[in-house]
Amino acid sequence: MTPLALAWRTARRYRARAVLAVIGVAVIGALNFDMLMLSRGLVLSFADLLNATNYNIRISGNSGLPLSRSPIDNAGTLMKQVAALPQIASVAVMRTASAALVEPSRRPQGVELVGSSDPSGLGVWRLLRGSNLDTASDGTAAQTAVVSQTLAERFSLAPGSTIHVRAGISGTMSALPPISLRIVGVGDFPFEPEESLVVATSMAGFARAHGGVVDDRAEFMFAASRPNVGVDAAVDAIDKLRPDIRAFSNEQLVANFARNAFTYFRQISVVLSTTTAVFSFLLVTTLLTVSVNQRLGEVAALRALGIRRRHIAATLLWEAVLLVGIGGTLALPLGQLLASILDGILRRMPGLPAGLHFFAFEPQSLVLHVLVLSATAIVAAAYPTWLAVRLPIAQTLRQEVVS
Amino acid sequence: MRPTRRLLGVLLLVLLSAPSRASFAAEIPNVLVSRQLLAKAHLSVGDVVTLAADAGGARARQFRIAGVYEPTPDPLKFNVERLETRVHLDDLLELVADPNDPSTADAVSAINVLLTDSSKGTAFSRALAAKTPFLFAVPTRDSESSTFQVVDRFHTAIAVVTVVGSTAFLLALMVIRAEERKETVGILRLIGISRKTIMTEVVVEGLLVAIAGAAVGVLIAAGAQHAVNRFFQARYDTSLVFMRVSPGIALRSVAVAIPVGVVAGTVASWTLLRRKATSLVRR
Repeated sequence: MTPLALAWRTARRYRARAVLAVIGVAVIGALNFDMLMLSRGLVLSFADLLNATNYNIRISGNSGLPLSRSPIDNAGTLMKQVAALPQIASVAVMRTASAALVEPSRRPQGVELVGSSDPSGLGVWRLLRGSNLDTASDGTAAQTAVVSQTLAERFSLAPGSTIHVRAGISGTMSALPPISLRIVGVGDFPFEPEESLVVATSMAGFARAHGGVVDDRAEFMFAASRPNVGVDAAVDAIDKLRPDIRAFSNEQLVANFARNAFTYFRQISVVLSTTTAVFSFLLVTTLLTVSVNQRLGEVAALRALGIRRRHIAATLLWEAVLLVGIGGTLALPLGQLLASILDGILRRMPGLPAGLHFFAFEPQSLVLHVLVLSATAIVAAAYPTWLAVRLPIAQTLRQEVVS
Repeated sequence: MRPTRRLLGVLLLVLLSAPSRASFAAEIPNVLVSRQLLAKAHLSVGDVVTLAADAGGARARQFRIAGVYEPTPDPLKFNVERLETRVHLDDLLELVADPNDPSTADAVSAINVLLTDSSKGTAFSRALAAKTPFLFAVPTRDSESSTFQVVDRFHTAIAVVTVVGSTAFLLALMVIRAEERKETVGILRLIGISRKTIMTEVVVEGLLVAIAGAAVGVLIAAGAQHAVNRFFQARYDTSLVFMRVSPGIALRSVAVAIPVGVVAGTVASWTLLRRKATSLVRR
């Protein structure tokens, strides 16, 4: 009989303990798998968010924190300069402002007003219903808008509805007259927090909301490099235009994010994945050791029958592999389920972009999970194997008979 | 530029000038500097520094460092280098105000309000939002705790999963222990010891193992908290406490261990007691 077959028979003979061990490994393995997904989940998710847009370069002011930079002054001029660069295929600009939705017989509702020079939204929204902004409307007709799903639900809005938006003026209590916006689409805004109330319109609509007078600033400018030009060359070219701006490729932004944002979760994932690996090791080692101690007579009898030490050791190793292997395999779907629950908890964090997730699957996580569990099985089997192969056969058999 | 960002610009930009001291003391306004900024910019109390609203040094003003402060530990900023200064509000407004826009000299990022009845925070914020759509009042209790309630729930969920895994672990251990003593239990039952007594013994054993395990766990955590705090405090240059084993947490761990031990003991004893006494002693 092969060591694997013998290990399988042993597991079946001691079914209850084998099942419990598999459950233990599955639960702890699921937590371990989740921690591996958590370690890079935010970074991968952030990269997915950025790469989902059509632009691979972000331009912002040169001061402020890495993820909260100051706006760009003289944005119109800069936009023309960037568009004229041979490395750049397209450029777009985005502005944001506080505003209020003022509808008859309802309380004014604070919303975020987004102005976009790109009718398809620069990737700031993902269209769910309707169409993107209409740039063809003349100066007198109502400008078009895309609103967030939450706003559409709360105010029973749909493509074709008209809303009235009053822009806020930062630093003053002045009130501008509201403007009418015709809703053409409803979308998800993955960079905004869940349940955000957002109204996105064209730059003309944004200017009109501000009484036609807006300063020449932009919160963000987006650019796409030409396919035949490296993105780094395009970033360098933009950086050289003006000293008060800073251009970042998506990769640079992701690297910044990985360095500065939510490092707590990366660290806790390292701590917890290490702890869970140690826990799995202890679980399997203890169970195998106690199990071997209980079967000393059986092992001595096998040795007395001529079964070689190597065979006994291989059997015990297979036992560990079976327990950890089955438990580790069950840990994958269990881990995915647990990750979705934990992600749901963490995503209630205030101000978190709706498109950002804490747990993200990547093949690297799976490989690490397999490696950690394989190492656990091998290390866990070491001590009980050492006990079994060094067993004094005659003495053990005698003790078993006497007892 | 928004006031908040301007403030950040000011906080992050410190241009050190000649450290002449007493002669300027009367005319130059005071500034407090964070410990981190003092160390990074090689400053000392009494030095005169120049602050400006932007990198170009626009509307720069001189300030005298009157003292050093340790920034209030803020879990939301623990991975941000706290390069900060504190100036009087009038000085800040003078520094950042746009000469072409008089309204900016009277603009602030936030106003702290102390209510006569602190329980009316939510009602106040609703009333303010209804009257002025561009002002948002957030009770400080809510703003401080909402993020940490989420983190707390996350940690609790992980603790629940760990407890489930531990239960399976203890259960397997107790089943093995019960199997080991199968013959002893059979003999005990043959000489008249009741099932209830044997079951109680196994349950108590499970309980003791669980409580002892929890107690050891609490001791390990209590020992580790110092190392964890020292590591993260050094890593992020903060006085924030990252881990604290409070009596409440210790008691909660032991309280969770009790039902785990009872369940493990009950299941383990059931595997023995469901069988006939003769089958337990049969070889």
